[in-house]
Amino acid sequence: MRIGYKACFPARSALPAALAASLLLSACVTPTAQRTSSWPDNIGRTIPAPTAPGPGQNPTPGASTAHTPTPLYSPPVAVAPPPKVLPAYPKSADEISSQAVLSLMKQARSARAAGQYDQASGALERAQRIEPRNYFVWSALGRVYLDKKLYDNAESVAMKSNSLARGNVYVELENWKVIAAARQAQGDAIGALQAQVKVDEIQRDLAGG
Amino acid sequence: MMARHMALPARKSRLVIPRSFVYGAAAVVLVLGSIGLIVFSFYLVSLDKDIRTRFAGVRWALPAQVFAAPLELYAGLNLDAGDLKHELERLGYRDSGSLEGPGTFSLNRQGADIYVRAFHFWDGPRAESRISLKFDGAGVASVSDADSGESRDIVRMDPMLIGSIYPQQQGEDRVLVKLEEVPELLRDGLLAVEDRDFYDHFGISIRGVLRAMFVNLRAGHAVQGASTVTQQLVRNFFLTLDRTWTRKFNEMFMSILLERHYSKDDILEAYINEIYLGQDGNRAIHGFGLASWFYFNKPLGELRDHEVALLVGVVKGASYYNPRRNPVRAKDRRDLVLRVFKERGLIDEAEMRAAIERPLSVAGTKQGGVERYPAFVDLVKRQLRGQYKDSDLTDEGLRIFTTLDPRSQEALERNIAQGLAEIEKSRKLPAGTLESAGVVTSVGGGDVLGIVGGRDVRYSGFNRALDSRRSIGSLAKPFVYLTALEQGDRYNLHSMIDDEPIELRLPTKQIWSPMNYDRKLHGPQPLYMALAQSYNLPTVRLGLEVGEKAVANTLKQAGYTGNPALVPSMFLGAVDVAPVEVAQMYGTIAAGGFQSPLSAIREVTTKEGEPLNRYPIRVKQTLPEGPVYLVTWAMTQVMRLGTGRSAYGIVPDTMTLAGKSGTTDDLRDSWFSGFTGDRVAVVWVGRDDYKPMGLTGSSGALYIWSRLIRDLKAKPLDLIPPPDVEEQLADTVTGLKADEGCDSRLLIPYLRGYAPQSWAPCARAAESQPMQWLREIFE
Repeated sequence: MRIGYKACFPARSALPAALAASLLLSACVTPTAQRTSSWPDNIGRTIPAPTAPGPGQNPTPGASTAHTPTPLYSPPVAVAPPPKVLPAYPKSADEISSQAVLSLMKQARSARAAGQYDQASGALERAQRIEPRNYFVWSALGRVYLDKKLYDNAESVAMKSNSLARGNVYVELENWKVIAAARQAQGDAIGALQAQVKVDEIQRDLAGG
Repeated sequence: MMARHMALPARKSRLVIPRSFVYGAAAVVLVLGSIGLIVFSFYLVSLDKDIRTRFAGVRWALPAQVFAAPLELYAGLNLDAGDLKHELERLGYRDSGSLEGPGTFSLNRQGADIYVRAFHFWDGPRAESRISLKFDGAGVASVSDADSGESRDIVRMDPMLIGSIYPQQQGEDRVLVKLEEVPELLRDGLLAVEDRDFYDHFGISIRGVLRAMFVNLRAGHAVQGASTVTQQLVRNFFLTLDRTWTRKFNEMFMSILLERHYSKDDILEAYINEIYLGQDGNRAIHGFGLASWFYFNKPLGELRDHEVALLVGVVKGASYYNPRRNPVRAKDRRDLVLRVFKERGLIDEAEMRAAIERPLSVAGTKQGGVERYPAFVDLVKRQLRGQYKDSDLTDEGLRIFTTLDPRSQEALERNIAQGLAEIEKSRKLPAGTLESAGVVTSVGGGDVLGIVGGRDVRYSGFNRALDSRRSIGSLAKPFVYLTALEQGDRYNLHSMIDDEPIELRLPTKQIWSPMNYDRKLHGPQPLYMALAQSYNLPTVRLGLEVGEKAVANTLKQAGYTGNPALVPSMFLGAVDVAPVEVAQMYGTIAAGGFQSPLSAIREVTTKEGEPLNRYPIRVKQTLPEGPVYLVTWAMTQVMRLGTGRSAYGIVPDTMTLAGKSGTTDDLRDSWFSGFTGDRVAVVWVGRDDYKPMGLTGSSGALYIWSRLIRDLKAKPLDLIPPPDVEEQLADTVTGLKADEGCDSRLLIPYLRGYAPQSWAPCARAAESQPMQWLREIFE
């Protein structure tokens, strides 16, 4: 069996294919900076992109120019911690949600205040169907599932919100609180502590920033 | 004295019946009579008991009602005037030019007014209301209250009734109505035609019999029946349809008894809910409540004169006067009924004429009733099984609120039906050769939005979407590549993989030597390109490097429930999976590695609206987000430059899509599965007899899939890298870091920390590198 895998350099025979690909691909080049979301495109506005350096941006050119030639695929380098400058993330759902979704979130809030958790999660699930990537909605769902003692689900939904929030610390703070509480309730003390550390970290950053 | 006449009497004694005999006979008669009376009393008592048991708790087995997801109207909704009209008509709303009552609307290009029906949702009742909509270029621009003009944030339309769960054999189905909900014309008209003396007789009507005879003789044919409504009810309730004297006899006494126990209104209400009014497959349509939906797709309260007359006419013989099968006969009967209405002063001359002018206006197709989406209702039943007893579902009138999105369902049905016909035509296959199945789900929530189990979308038999487990071919490849991409230290999207022949000795001693679909070798391929072009050899190579076990694990984490044999052919999709499970697996990728178990149900309530069960959104992260993002990116390349690229002849360029084609050996199965920002769709095309049909995933299923995506009005995929992914320009020749100096460069996502650090030779930045200095010496 001859299994080999070449890390990078295309063998001679690959060149035509690679060239053909490159012709097709040259059109795909996009600037890295402005990446506005098309979500939720149905409400006629876009989510403001984080103004701070985004995760996709290249490190400053030149930083690596002093290096001697490195292997083509360098081993993972410890990445410097991202700068602690807080980008202008939306602080509340108002900034990224349509009126319909805000209205459902409001309904959910009052239902939750009245202890009607089914009504609250029902309203939020309707909102989720309208704006499936609205991380404020997912975050609020996590809180209601926590109220309903659906701990496992509460944690997962909060994680889902974190994943969609793409670094929005305001939402992540709430989510980690839910995660800590859900883990605590399930008897996962260590997990709860880890989540609490995240909460503390974010709170510290927010206080410092 | 007696003795004196003893001589003659010999003869006479034969004539004279001895007194003892008379007494004896009398006694016998008396005893028999008494016995008869006792038997008769017992008979009556037993009839009475039957009647009361049947009537007391009433009384009907009520099949569970299954509702689609409601349409939500709000500013920003992507729905134009044409779409809205279609939606409203599907809900049985009538374009009446002005708002005449619940279930009516008026509409033009600029806006619409809708009189929204009252409805009892799972979370409470919603009163009827009148709303106004305005449209702009993008869809709904505003929603407001039609009376006050105040803005409304969101309005839930009443959901469509899509089916019911009734017993398998001789299923009776009905939608219960209360007498006060029955339109006056229906109630009075029904009695005018069926039983004019209803409020005067005691169960049977001698006058009715005589008058019916007279009327029918004069008309020359049967216009009126002689049975009272009470008798008809009894017949429907307890008796068979054979025409025997015993039955007539039973019917008569039961009718009288029924009248003694119950009020006229109770009896009439029972009649209105019980009477047999049509047949839909093996489902019997009982009562006017359901018949109104079955024939006109709207609630009883919204029927107009000619529609009421048709239903009243059908009472006489649901099969003979079936308006779908025998429209001419049904119209004659309806018009006759309209004349009776007029004659009895229920409508005036002008109303009668107007009504007679109208066509039957029966909704749906020849067969079609409200049982529209059998494959979906099948899924609903399976999901409920185990949580509810069969009898709960068929008898208790549960209300089941589902995830079905009629728009997605309709798009799926239409594109499968049209697509198969077009493919057959262009490939010169005999019409009807191909079969198909399809599934549409939401991204993130796990809602099943639409499902088609076969080419004949109304046929409730073999549900291929759920039960046809076939090889998925290259649909398995993204999971092989995902498994590799999880190892950031070994692979990235531009890692080069050989496209060279492979020969493997299988445990069975056979030699397995897979080939590329085009039977050619293409030289080493960047990983993403190998997936985009669906090359088999690089995939097997990669699969062998990461191992069968790891790939099987990825398949399972994505939602595959089977146990794949750990053999290399697994990398090329030698795994049998049903379309719905493919949707589950691709849904996990679409949701960034978060799996939501697919669900067809949102809520279940009792018939009174008390919530019984909710099905919250469930998610669980089962695959790592970063690698899932990378493979999703590669799947967008499938669409842009690989086997899925023909989709962009159908959907606009701005619609970012991710997908993968699948083809099995000898072209037996043609698959396409993929997703947008908010929809996952899977389409399978093949033959039931497993014969080759000459279609690849790209030439068969993709044809349907891309048209489906266009019609779903889905949102484009939003490629925003997660925190553990960074993007970097790559030189497409070397895969190294590129800048504007490189002619052919591509922005590629990498797991954070694993992007190549060295500059490609073409990069401007590379010129200051020592390499350049070295090169200059040699130059």
